[in-house]
Amino acid sequence: MHIPNGFIPITQCIVYYVILIVALYFSVRWARNNLDEKRIPLLAVLAAGIFAIMSMNIPIPFGTSGHMVGGALVAIVFLAPEAAVLVFTIVLLIQALIFGDGGITVLGANVLNMAIIGGFVGLYTFKGLQGIVGKYPAAGVGAWLATVIAALACAVELAIAGTFPITIGIPSMVLYHVFIGIIEAILTVIVLAALDKFRPDLLVWNRGDA
Amino acid sequence: MADITQIIRFDDLASKESPIHNLEGRIKLISTILITVVCVVSQELFIPIVLELFLLILFKIADLSYIDSFKRLLMLLPFGGAIIIFQPFIQPGTIIWRYSWLTVTDVGLNWAILLLARMIVTLTVVILYSSTTPLQEMASSFRKLKMPRDLAMILSIMVRFLFLFVDELAAIRKSQKSRNFNIHAKNISYKWRVKQVGYTVGMMFLKAYEQGERVHKSMVSRGFSDTSEMFNEKKSPEKSDYIFLISIIIIILILEILLFKFSGQLGYIGQNLSIN
Repeated sequence: MHIPNGFIPITQCIVYYVILIVALYFSVRWARNNLDEKRIPLLAVLAAGIFAIMSMNIPIPFGTSGHMVGGALVAIVFLAPEAAVLVFTIVLLIQALIFGDGGITVLGANVLNMAIIGGFVGLYTFKGLQGIVGKYPAAGVGAWLATVIAALACAVELAIAGTFPITIGIPSMVLYHVFIGIIEAILTVIVLAALDKFRPDLLVWNRGDA
Repeated sequence: MADITQIIRFDDLASKESPIHNLEGRIKLISTILITVVCVVSQELFIPIVLELFLLILFKIADLSYIDSFKRLLMLLPFGGAIIIFQPFIQPGTIIWRYSWLTVTDVGLNWAILLLARMIVTLTVVILYSSTTPLQEMASSFRKLKMPRDLAMILSIMVRFLFLFVDELAAIRKSQKSRNFNIHAKNISYKWRVKQVGYTVGMMFLKAYEQGERVHKSMVSRGFSDTSEMFNEKKSPEKSDYIFLISIIIIILILEILLFKFSGQLGYIGQNLSIN
């Protein structure tokens, strides 16, 4: 899902950067209002952890492998997509400049897919479903949907760029991420269950202000 | 996703001495972004090809192994390569090759070649940058270039703790291996394997969060507060740094002028291959 440099025209890259700047403005404001002065070390070390988590490849059917993204997970833990935006901007910046994984010119588009769309879809699906199906199934569905919708957004962006027709982009990317999304959902649920068991105080939903 | 454990090797490589390694961090970062942007906006092959040759000269000056860098490039190509490989078959245009229902168009082939050229050059410049710039220097460059305070601090602290998590991940993998755990082992239930990865991810997440809290406490004990600013080493770019950056700008300008004046004489590499 990491779009490389050169696949999206620079004019469209600028539009995605503007979206990123607006999202960062609101995210920094959210962090200042909600996370006290602990926010910087907390989000920084969490970003390092997410970076490590993203590098753990898991085999999926069809002989390929995928990795967890974690946008929905971070948004659900903090009950705020803004946390995902802050963590993933830094993670994707380093990935682009050190690993060449995703491009620096398309950073805005990659953050939009994995953090903004991923975080929002994951969190609000979770919020919408938790009263109906319970917390963990809701988190699982949220994480799955976040992955699929983010892939859909990626396909749409590449289609707008003229790089990949939407008629091929949507079936291929979305179908692949339907399976990746299952892994994302399972891992998100396991992590949330582990946090709920060992450090329930870390989950904002346990604090009563959710 | 690239193997995070390689980051230690990249940082070792980046800590060596060479005229490129010794350039000021901001100059290297600006040059990297400049070359990347120029390449992304290029609609002909001429500029990416010349920039690639220029980068290969910089690799030599930086005393970097061509073979290792090429291997790294090959590892990174599949991410965008999967999209590039379809282009000759899906873009409308004049059919230049046909086999049964499979057709290759001139527009699609040209576009695939241009995308590949852009990708190779932008990855080469990233490999050069990451092989000559330690992570701390990169974080400090962003700070000096006026990245917003909160983001700059998150980046600087994140970079420090990345190595800790790399060690942590390596230790987990080692301990799993010592117990004969293999994520790809087909004789073990898939559900069980995914569950083990889930526990590892959960543990990493928990450790990250708790480490974040400990780091905060240790920072507070050293006087950190909400208004603290990061220390920026006062190091101004030297004459050689400015010469390097100006040289890149001049090379790009000359290439643009040459392309503008002689695009007809440059043949295929002077043709507009873009579709957007």
